[in-house]
Amino acid sequence: MKKIALAIALAFAAGAASTAQAQEKSIRISGFGAKSGVVRSFGINGEAAMLAAADQINKAGGVKLADGSKARIVVDYYDDRCTAEEGISVIRRIAGTDSLVAVGPTCSNVAEPLFGILQKKVDDKGDSGLQMPVFTDVAIKVGLARISEWAFRNVPNEMTMYSSVFYWLRGKHPQAKTVYGGVEEDFAHSRATWHVVMKDRATANNYTLLGESKWLLNDTNFATQVREMKKANADVVAISAHPFTTCGVLKEMQRQGVKPKVLIGLTSSSSMETMQGCAKQAEGMIIPTSYAPVNKEAKAASDATAKFKGSADLHSMAAWENMFILKSVMEDMKISGAKAEVQADRRKIRDGLAKLRTTPGLLGVNSRTEDREADKPYLFVQAKGGQWVVIHNPL
Amino acid sequence: MLDLLQSASDGVLYGATYALIGIGFTLVFGVMHKINMAYGAASVGGAYLGLMVLKLGAGLPVPLVFFGSFLAGGLLGWMVYLACFHFIPLSSPLATLMSTVGMLLLIDEVIVHTTDGMPQNYPALFDDVMLRFGEFTLRGDLLLVFLVSVACMAGLLALLYRTRLGLATRAVSQQAIAAQLCGIRLAQVNVTTFVITGLLGGIAGAMIGAAVGTLSPLLTTPLTVKGLIVTVIGGLGSVPGAIVAGLLVGGFENVIQLYRGVTERDLYVMLLLFAFLVFRPGGLFAPAGGRN
Repeated sequence: MKKIALAIALAFAAGAASTAQAQEKSIRISGFGAKSGVVRSFGINGEAAMLAAADQINKAGGVKLADGSKARIVVDYYDDRCTAEEGISVIRRIAGTDSLVAVGPTCSNVAEPLFGILQKKVDDKGDSGLQMPVFTDVAIKVGLARISEWAFRNVPNEMTMYSSVFYWLRGKHPQAKTVYGGVEEDFAHSRATWHVVMKDRATANNYTLLGESKWLLNDTNFATQVREMKKANADVVAISAHPFTTCGVLKEMQRQGVKPKVLIGLTSSSSMETMQGCAKQAEGMIIPTSYAPVNKEAKAASDATAKFKGSADLHSMAAWENMFILKSVMEDMKISGAKAEVQADRRKIRDGLAKLRTTPGLLGVNSRTEDREADKPYLFVQAKGGQWVVIHNPL
Repeated sequence: MLDLLQSASDGVLYGATYALIGIGFTLVFGVMHKINMAYGAASVGGAYLGLMVLKLGAGLPVPLVFFGSFLAGGLLGWMVYLACFHFIPLSSPLATLMSTVGMLLLIDEVIVHTTDGMPQNYPALFDDVMLRFGEFTLRGDLLLVFLVSVACMAGLLALLYRTRLGLATRAVSQQAIAAQLCGIRLAQVNVTTFVITGLLGGIAGAMIGAAVGTLSPLLTTPLTVKGLIVTVIGGLGSVPGAIVAGLLVGGFENVIQLYRGVTERDLYVMLLLFAFLVFRPGGLFAPAGGRN
């Protein structure tokens, strides 16, 4: 009888051990961004980059937890449709799961109100805002992370990038002295980039500002705006708009024979969308970007993302970088990975992200600023023959 | 003065694209007394399908894109009729209205999911033609759109007033029950109207794609809004009214944009709409009421 009992006990023990092995530990990272609407490609590419990075991390053993065990990363991705109300709803949903950190959103008009519902200052007991670390990959409007101490961004610093562009232009095209702007006025990113960044950086580099034309994201007729542009006859035309209206304006410029010496575009337009919409008219356009497949790591990241049906650009590759940064932070901060300690782990990740002063990036080392923003290496690309070609590495 | 003239003429010519969309809205309303909210989206959908012809058959002549859009528009018109009107009780105006709103969103999302929202280069006709009169210019491609919309209007009026189908359509438009008593098959007239407006929508989508030079899902909402405004201002059910109102709205918004800027432009267009609704609710060319 004793032998039978021992056999049963051994069988249970063996069964329990194998169950424990089968139930390998996992930690969840939630991505969110636009997967519907006209900026759907941002969400598709961001999700693909996150999945590709998680796949690579998991194949290398996963994330080391506080108890020395390893956990694999599970990625889920939510569609915020690039609207503020959906974005806020999504982050509340993510906060209700066992997800340790959120990566997103795509649109600055989502990021701004969304950061507003996070707790402003950590440990402020009077603030009942969400205590969920958000590590933004795409929304690029300047200075958003300062809204909450739970908000972090790994997006390029457009102030630095456009400052560098105008400085470089002074040497490259010394005869160019005047600038005219075109701005998509109803989109948070493009609006802020023209009014806060490009204008300021152009005048700081001794360019004379001749004026600006405005249009809206849904506009289809740009005749009046381009006529104003033609009248100004500026040496440099800077277009702060997303691909659809950038293409519309470039086509109208071609019709009206507007040929500036230099054409500058918005960071987000250095994508295949512009090439697909108006490669011929965009020929020669210069854009600063924080990603180009110029080294082994960057090419490998691009290839890995392509396997998950995404394409590599400055936005999706920020999502890729975020995954590796988060892995490193989770290991350094010794998170437990236990379901019962989700909030404690979230806090550790927040604190870990706040401590960072540099992070590895695909183009080199990214600096982290006091207000939780990134200062990333960048390049200048130019539209040539339907491709974005690197023309200058200022660093 | 030249700026004003130039802005007005640019707007009037571009307004031809609004007129083409307005004709489709107004024709369906004239016959069925229903608003087809999916019309703008189906027109853009037709243009996308036409573009697909060019992509699938590399080396095909570019004008086939326009012919493809024309046919695809008709097919989409028929599908919209089946999905939103044929199986839904017409006695409930809200049901058909909401079903077409749903169809608008569906077509929009299908386009977004198929293209990932990426703008698609669209071939233009006479894009490089610019008529110059000193400083004053006229775009060749918009002149073509203008002529096409005038031709469409003439064709539609001929169809309505010179054919048996047109007679049946007008009869249904004026008194559906009496038309049925005379032997006219209501369902057949309705579906024919949708196919005809769909074909017209395909042309409209192609012309808009050619005028903008790019196709994007961003086109559907503004075209729907402008199409509805044009339909109301022109007079619900009036084809010539839609043409005149399209040109009027196009010119008006461009002139407002010149003087008040782009951020105030749509505000004034809406004020124009309200002014019509208050002071001339029948629109510019309100058709004479039928005997009910």
